[in-house]
Amino acid sequence: MNIPGSGLAKGLAVTLRTLTRRTQTVQYPDAQPELAPRTRGVIGLFEENCTVCMLCARECPDWCIYIDSHKETVPPAAPGGRERSRNVLDRFAIDFALCMYCGICIEVCPFDALFWSPEFEYAETDILDLTHERDRLREWMWTVPEPPALDPAAEEPKEIAAARKTAEKMAAAQAARETNEANEANEANEANEANEANEANEANEANEANEAKGDGA
Amino acid sequence: MSTHGVALASGAHGFLSPTGVEVAFLLVGLVTLGAAVLTVTTRQLVHAALWLVVALGGLAVEYLLLTAEFVAWVQVLIYVGSVVVLLLFGLMLTKAPIGRSPDADSGNRPVAIAVAGAAAVALVWVVVDAFRRTWIDLRGPVQGSTEVSGEMLFRYWVLPFEALSVLLLAALVGAIVLSRRGKENEAEEPRRKEEAR
Amino acid sequence: MSSSDTLDVVLRLLALFGVFLVFPLLVGQMEHKVMAHMQGRLGPMYAGGFHGWAQLVADGVKFAQKEDIVPAEADRRVFQLAPAVALLPYLLVLVAIPIGPGKAVGWYIDAGIFFVLAVMGVGVLGSLMAGWASANKFSLLGGLRTAAQLMAYELPMLLAAASVAMAAGTVSLPGILDAFHWWWVPWQIVGGLVFFTAGLAELQRPPFDMPVADSEIIFGAYTEYTGLRFAMFLLSEYAGIVVLCGLTSVLFLGGWHGPLGADGLGWVWMLLKTAVLAFVVIWLRVTYPRLREDQLQKLAWTVLIPLALAQIALTGVVKVAIS
Repeated sequence: MNIPGSGLAKGLAVTLRTLTRRTQTVQYPDAQPELAPRTRGVIGLFEENCTVCMLCARECPDWCIYIDSHKETVPPAAPGGRERSRNVLDRFAIDFALCMYCGICIEVCPFDALFWSPEFEYAETDILDLTHERDRLREWMWTVPEPPALDPAAEEPKEIAAARKTAEKMAAAQAARETNEANEANEANEANEANEANEANEANEANEANEAKGDGA
Repeated sequence: MSTHGVALASGAHGFLSPTGVEVAFLLVGLVTLGAAVLTVTTRQLVHAALWLVVALGGLAVEYLLLTAEFVAWVQVLIYVGSVVVLLLFGLMLTKAPIGRSPDADSGNRPVAIAVAGAAAVALVWVVVDAFRRTWIDLRGPVQGSTEVSGEMLFRYWVLPFEALSVLLLAALVGAIVLSRRGKENEAEEPRRKEEAR
Repeated sequence: MSSSDTLDVVLRLLALFGVFLVFPLLVGQMEHKVMAHMQGRLGPMYAGGFHGWAQLVADGVKFAQKEDIVPAEADRRVFQLAPAVALLPYLLVLVAIPIGPGKAVGWYIDAGIFFVLAVMGVGVLGSLMAGWASANKFSLLGGLRTAAQLMAYELPMLLAAASVAMAAGTVSLPGILDAFHWWWVPWQIVGGLVFFTAGLAELQRPPFDMPVADSEIIFGAYTEYTGLRFAMFLLSEYAGIVVLCGLTSVLFLGGWHGPLGADGLGWVWMLLKTAVLAFVVIWLRVTYPRLREDQLQKLAWTVLIPLALAQIALTGVVKVAIS
């Protein structure tokens, strides 16, 4: 079945069918785009988690993260203890004119201080304004969405698996302890019951004896 | 000539009382002549071709003014639309320069002028002599319509028409033969190169 | 000539000029929108407010503001004259296309088919002049391709038109329409396809747009043009579409003839047929990729011309059989 020209007709049918379908165009300024989950729009900083370990700045391929800090000494927690030094963040800035949105900084951060936010409307007329300082990066933090739910058949996340294992272990330990205790308790109960019975008997006997005494009096 | 042909109207016309159409005819004729002269005198090859367009177009207008509509449009279709395009095509293939071509002149200039002059004189003399007292009635029915032309061509002039088509066929066959021989030469060339090595 | 005659002529010319200015823009706008939707896009949406209806007006304003540049090495006069040579023939052709029965035609021309095809052929001269005068190798290549294309397509177009003229027994366009019967459409369908295809090639519309192939030779003969002169080339392309579609509907689809209301509403049928054909022109552009130069020549000489000749033979046989 190869009629000459059928390919040409097929082409015409494809374009005509597309004509009748909805267009793909998103009229962006009028309508917001539907962004994919984990969209890489801008990087937010949760500075409470930052320990100024500098991993992000060092791993950044185009060196667009600027971090300044100083050390402070903290008096010993307990009297007689050693003084501790602590890093204090002075400046944390990301130059989005340089950033190539690779996300390595977010990957390497061991303390979950950096997050992707889907916000993308931060174009500026001056390139210097594309360097977002600490406070601006913190504002982006509030636009970070919840992580999307995992696929139904997805592997369990490592940290949850680890937590669950620990919890199960603890639960098992607890359960084991409880059974032990229960056994012990049973034995104790039996002993108690025996005691109580004895005591009751004794008491009865005593009462009876008393009554007898009273009758006798 | 047929009854529809060129009508004889003796004495009603003179050179001293020209009508509007006659004036237009004369002016267009002058423009055509000027364009024709420029075609052969200009040193810029493509300009010559474009002046030829003006000259041929002017001729078509002259035909129109003489109510020979069919001939006029065929003139435009064949000469302006095809022959000049072919001419320009050829000029572009040879990469005609913009500006003057210093080698556009040939040594045959005097001969060419002589031939052209002789041909022009002969033509003018023959035409004037043949149609000396013939006038075309411009206000009457159209005398060069498609119907009239077709009738004349296929009723009175069939033999020359057929002879012409045989001539064209011969030209066509000749062109094909020439181009095919060119291909054979091309096929031979690589062999020659091999031998040279 | 009385004053009412003069008024009549003036009104006709004004109406024609209006058609010449408006219809190509309508086709252009249709191309914007239809092409966009066929590609899953929306096309222009902002100019003028409602679905970008004024996009081409805005484009015109933009073109008018641009600097008119003539390259230093170019042949100045020819370069500047070329857009007019490309555009004017289509204005002239519109004069001869009848849009309704009776006197609804700009100018009754006895040899209408010859007039129309002759003048359309002249329009190509504009591209050739532009191609040569730009002093640019891409323009020159574009001009060469234009010329080669015209050579290949003039003949089948003429043959297909001749078939209709044979069928009608006249070469005037209103005369052809007067002689039209509905069964001419299936009778002349092959000729119609050949005519339409050859016309597309003459207009350099995709898929036959190798003279302006932007991926190969930038924009062919129009590479060096800017501003209004460039806009005139574009306008001539769209005017060419209007003319080609009008001619095809007159010659092969019966023009103002329709299933009903041919007398009063003939012009509606004519416009409808022209619009549908213009849609087809755009549809073909969106659907097919550009042919290669040699494929185009092969198509013309080995397919279209034999088909046109066969159509002429068929026309002759049927004509003799019914008479």
